Amino acid sequence: MIDETAPPQLRDRIARDLAPVAPLKKPWLRAALALPLGILLLFAASTVYSLRGDAGRLGWTLTWGLSTIELALGMLLIGMALRDAIPGRVWSPPALLASLGTALAAVFLITLVTWRVSPTRILHESVAYVTSVCFGYPLIAALPVILFAGLLVSRAYPLRPQLAGALYGAGAGLLSDAGWRLFCHYSDPAHVLTAHLGAIVAATLIGALTGRLLRPRS
Amino acid sequence: MIPKPPAEQIPNASSPRARLDETELREWMGEYQAGRLEAFDRVYAAIAVPLRKYLTALARDAAEAQDLLQEAFLQIHRSRHTYDRDQPLLPWVFAISRHVYLMSLRSARRRPLRGADNLEETELSFAVPPEVDGLADRLELRAAVARVGAERREAMLLHHVWGFSFREVGAIQGVTESAAKLRSSRGMAELRGILKERR
Repeated sequence: MIDETAPPQLRDRIARDLAPVAPLKKPWLRAALALPLGILLLFAASTVYSLRGDAGRLGWTLTWGLSTIELALGMLLIGMALRDAIPGRVWSPPALLASLGTALAAVFLITLVTWRVSPTRILHESVAYVTSVCFGYPLIAALPVILFAGLLVSRAYPLRPQLAGALYGAGAGLLSDAGWRLFCHYSDPAHVLTAHLGAIVAATLIGALTGRLLRPRS
Repeated sequence: MIPKPPAEQIPNASSPRARLDETELREWMGEYQAGRLEAFDRVYAAIAVPLRKYLTALARDAAEAQDLLQEAFLQIHRSRHTYDRDQPLLPWVFAISRHVYLMSLRSARRRPLRGADNLEETELSFAVPPEVDGLADRLELRAAVARVGAERREAMLLHHVWGFSFREVGAIQGVTESAAKLRSSRGMAELRGILKERR
């Protein structure tokens, strides 16, 4: 029978640092901590500025309803990032592709449905300005969520920190866009799929970078 | 204080995973999280040998595997708060150890694959997958296993030798259950091919 004991040097190091630790809560419970930020973002733009001008034409379902779906998808991605940060619980490539693909498809679908019911274009001379606003503001609004989720993930032990970062970055981008689309009434797919989707993609990249910066170091 | 289990309950660390008492392991890990050194000793005693074999199979170098084992235990210690007692312990432990190996591989920008020359007999005294048992002697088999592609070899050993389910192998390797199954079966096919070629 082999009853191996730890080498004294290792055992001493462990003994020196053997404080009791509280096991992490389940990833989904920890993801819920980001929900207040998501809800805040959902209401922020329409409260600070105004609800989109065509809200009456779109109705509750195509405004708040679709934004709530986007919020739920964003939370799902953040939850997935938190689970991926637990050793032995990583997502497989198909699961990752499916979730990111679903998020992307949802943005496309929301854009097309909104455009179909209420087509609104940007005046040619305002394109650059509106695009920069609809790219920059949601991206800035996503940063606190990225940082918060990044800290939650770094509390665990992410074996793929960039990937986890990309997941919560995409999630934060979706949360931010869920609120921003309630203010921005330009439904032209050319605008939404460049400025709004561009902000989500940029948030994904910033998330990956944040994941790398906050990764556990040996 | 954890009561010392009767001798027959102390896991034989050289036995496959199936023979490790998962419930006890989880209990000890919980005690370890609570800050008890005796629990660390028990966890170490239970998993050090299979973990060293796993790291040896990855690194193909017994001395390096010993270093990796120490580093793996330090990382296990550092991340012990991430272990969820509702989940089996070994996939968590093996995933961390795999990460330690990959990090060492990356930081060393390492050498091309080596043969099995540096493997000690004790490190590969594992159960042989029944499909290939009898096709070759242990020495031959050891060299043949070392020639199987890295990811396929890992999946094959995790499943056939250490008794992980394909779902767990997938979680350790970051692939789907079916991809893990495919890797393992391709590894077995490759191993059979190598053994036939050598005859």
